[in-house]
Amino acid sequence: MRVTHSTITWRLFICRACGLIYDEAEGDPDSGLAPGTRFEDIPDDWECPLCGVTKTDFEPFERPQITAAPQTVAFSKQPGIVVIGAGLAGWSVIEAIRKDDADVPITLLSACKGDRYHKPELSVAMSRGVSAEQLVRETAEDAGRRLRVKLITSAFAVGLNAARHELRTTRGTIEYTHLVLAQGSKPYLPMQLEADACWHVNHLKSWGGLEKALRAGPQRVAIIGAGMIGCELAEDLNKAGHRVSLINRDAHPLLALLPQLAASCLVDSMVQQGIEHHANAHIAGLEQNASGESSVVLEDGSKVAYDQLIAATGLQTDNRLAKQAGLTFNNGIAVNARSLQTSEKNIYALGDCISIDGVACRFIEPIAHQARSIASSILRGNEQSYKHIDPVIRLKTRAMPIVLRGIPKPVGVWKTVTQNEQELVMEQYVEGEKIAVLTMGLLPGSEAA
Amino acid sequence: MNNTALSNEDESFWDDDARILCDVERVASVRLSAVANSIDQDGYYPADIMGELGQAGAFLPHLKAYGERFDAAINNMSAISRNCGSTGFITWCQDVCGLYMELSGNPALVNRLVDHATGTTFGGTALSNPMKAFTNIEAMALKANKVEGGYVVSGTLPWVSHIADGQCCGAIAAIDNSDGSRSHEVMFMLDINEEVNLTKCPEFSGMEGTSTWALNLNKYFVSDAQIIADPARPFIKKIRGAFILLQTGWAMGVTQASIDACREVEVSLGHVNQFLHNRPDELEAELKDLHARIMQLAKDPYDTSKEHMLDVLDTRAQCSELALKASQSALLHQGARGYLMKSKPQRLIREAHFVGIVTPAIKHLRWEMAKLMSEG
Repeated sequence: MRVTHSTITWRLFICRACGLIYDEAEGDPDSGLAPGTRFEDIPDDWECPLCGVTKTDFEPFERPQITAAPQTVAFSKQPGIVVIGAGLAGWSVIEAIRKDDADVPITLLSACKGDRYHKPELSVAMSRGVSAEQLVRETAEDAGRRLRVKLITSAFAVGLNAARHELRTTRGTIEYTHLVLAQGSKPYLPMQLEADACWHVNHLKSWGGLEKALRAGPQRVAIIGAGMIGCELAEDLNKAGHRVSLINRDAHPLLALLPQLAASCLVDSMVQQGIEHHANAHIAGLEQNASGESSVVLEDGSKVAYDQLIAATGLQTDNRLAKQAGLTFNNGIAVNARSLQTSEKNIYALGDCISIDGVACRFIEPIAHQARSIASSILRGNEQSYKHIDPVIRLKTRAMPIVLRGIPKPVGVWKTVTQNEQELVMEQYVEGEKIAVLTMGLLPGSEAA
Repeated sequence: MNNTALSNEDESFWDDDARILCDVERVASVRLSAVANSIDQDGYYPADIMGELGQAGAFLPHLKAYGERFDAAINNMSAISRNCGSTGFITWCQDVCGLYMELSGNPALVNRLVDHATGTTFGGTALSNPMKAFTNIEAMALKANKVEGGYVVSGTLPWVSHIADGQCCGAIAAIDNSDGSRSHEVMFMLDINEEVNLTKCPEFSGMEGTSTWALNLNKYFVSDAQIIADPARPFIKKIRGAFILLQTGWAMGVTQASIDACREVEVSLGHVNQFLHNRPDELEAELKDLHARIMQLAKDPYDTSKEHMLDVLDTRAQCSELALKASQSALLHQGARGYLMKSKPQRLIREAHFVGIVTPAIKHLRWEMAKLMSEG
């Protein structure tokens, strides 16, 4: 709707048949409708100047919203480096490339707006009372101008032809010299959970939706999955004043990482804070009773009522592009451990979407190193610069911080090194060799402040 | 499928894809290429040639009754389109109209299938508006009210092709509740009779012989014998991929014709054309890739998974992009002779533009892919 001066609002009407817009301000002088002719004053025998239908085929028109990104660099036809994904991995690789080369054209394709934020904050930010907008450290537009990156946002990659160096997107087909896949991963949902029935915190937009929903005041929150995200989120939301139920299909949280002793301490800590931990709890489905109350129904018949439901049931990498381009995919886009090249020479991948020797590595720490290696490979042909080191895992549960160096194995044997009021230190051995060290700080009840 | 509809046919007659394609190619190259310009510019509606193509088996392989061979139907359409894009387009109209009849399961419509499939009768499709309406691009144009024994429908559709008095087209109308909210939609076979007002469309830049009319209904009665699906949405969900996939045959034909046009002048102009980009070999390699992808998708035309739909939409978009690129190249290859008003590249460019803008247009395809992708 357009306003021409303070009191008169001229309205727009669209022809349902051909899309012509009748603007009351302009009228249709060619058929004798003076500017300012109100729609209701148009004679019934008036015809659409384009397709000839009558006014009954017109309806009120509101200008639709356009979601394209603002232009951040001059238009260039030169194909350059194309990066898919505007998360930490995508922006890191762009920073690394720009550090070495101020001129090479870079295009960033992002499914979301592409604003920069620090993803690990999402599982601990609710208790700090911040909004999604406040978590943005730099908007995509600002970063795009600063790093001279062409932005294609709210757009999706739908096809990839590696032989022709052609990426097909929902905003057109682009050519590339090098392609960097930093598409991340998406929530893996068990089949009992529909995507629109639960929140996840895998990206800022969904987190922002949850944050808005929780603003109304203290609520009952059910979190499904007691991995790192589930545990961190449980504590964060509890701290923010909500009543949290953590639904865990296993006997202990973080089953693959923590020995039983450490896991028990973590559960004690959570329970002491007021978090309900449901162990060995398998979901049968969701239900809503007559008064509109929602519950998770467990296989043993018990129910966990909730106002908000969050899935923290793990991540998986979308394999569509890899499949189309014939890239090797093995639990993620398979990359060479030294070069981070996929099975196609000019296509690289980093971050959550990759797998090295069949193992996905979804931690923040290696990303900066991966980004530098890819930049060095693309710009200087230095193809062997990456060395994968298992990252130090830090669980940001503030009542009981956990630090894990090395990745424990199911066959490993845990030994307790220190256990006192302040900390628990344990080590895991495989065939006499120490492969992991676990440190848990501040046992329950001893948290300062 | 009601097999009694085929009782007069020797069913094995239509089993040989290669023979059908060969016959279709013959009719198309002998009869169509001679009149392609007249169809495109002068509005000659090739009903006679469509009849011959129907007799050759062009319009039936994709139907369940004839073995559901979408690959063969697409290849037939492509062969027709290679000689005349307008006729390729109305072949698609005829093909999807056949789908509506058959999949309706309505005996009254299924009984009309043999005549339709063999080109004795013709029919088109008026689904451009509802297809866009179902993905929130625009509002529904036809409104229906339930009455005894059927519906009455009113409204206007601006451009419906391959229709004429005595022909038919699949159409969808919205049914609203008394409070103005939408109840559901009904899909029906709109039989073009004296109750239907067909108005001449403004002059198009090409494709004039597709018998395209503005169609206005004023309390048109739809009987139970005409119902394709009520409600329409589940039916549309089922056929949507097949509906879009079939169009690729038409688009690939326009592309192939453009490659042919580049090659036609190779002997005389090859020494300078070698400096052009988008050369015929390059275009043909892309067409070959695309054709292989389409043949793969044609094996499972009613797959409604998100993955399959994305592939169909993306392939269809690529068909448009390639047809546009190839027709442009055809004109550049032919140079001045391609700039003559009656030249083949001029027609191919108009045809390719139509491939790019008709529903689903490139922009609609991308809009819809973005929508599907953002649904998780």
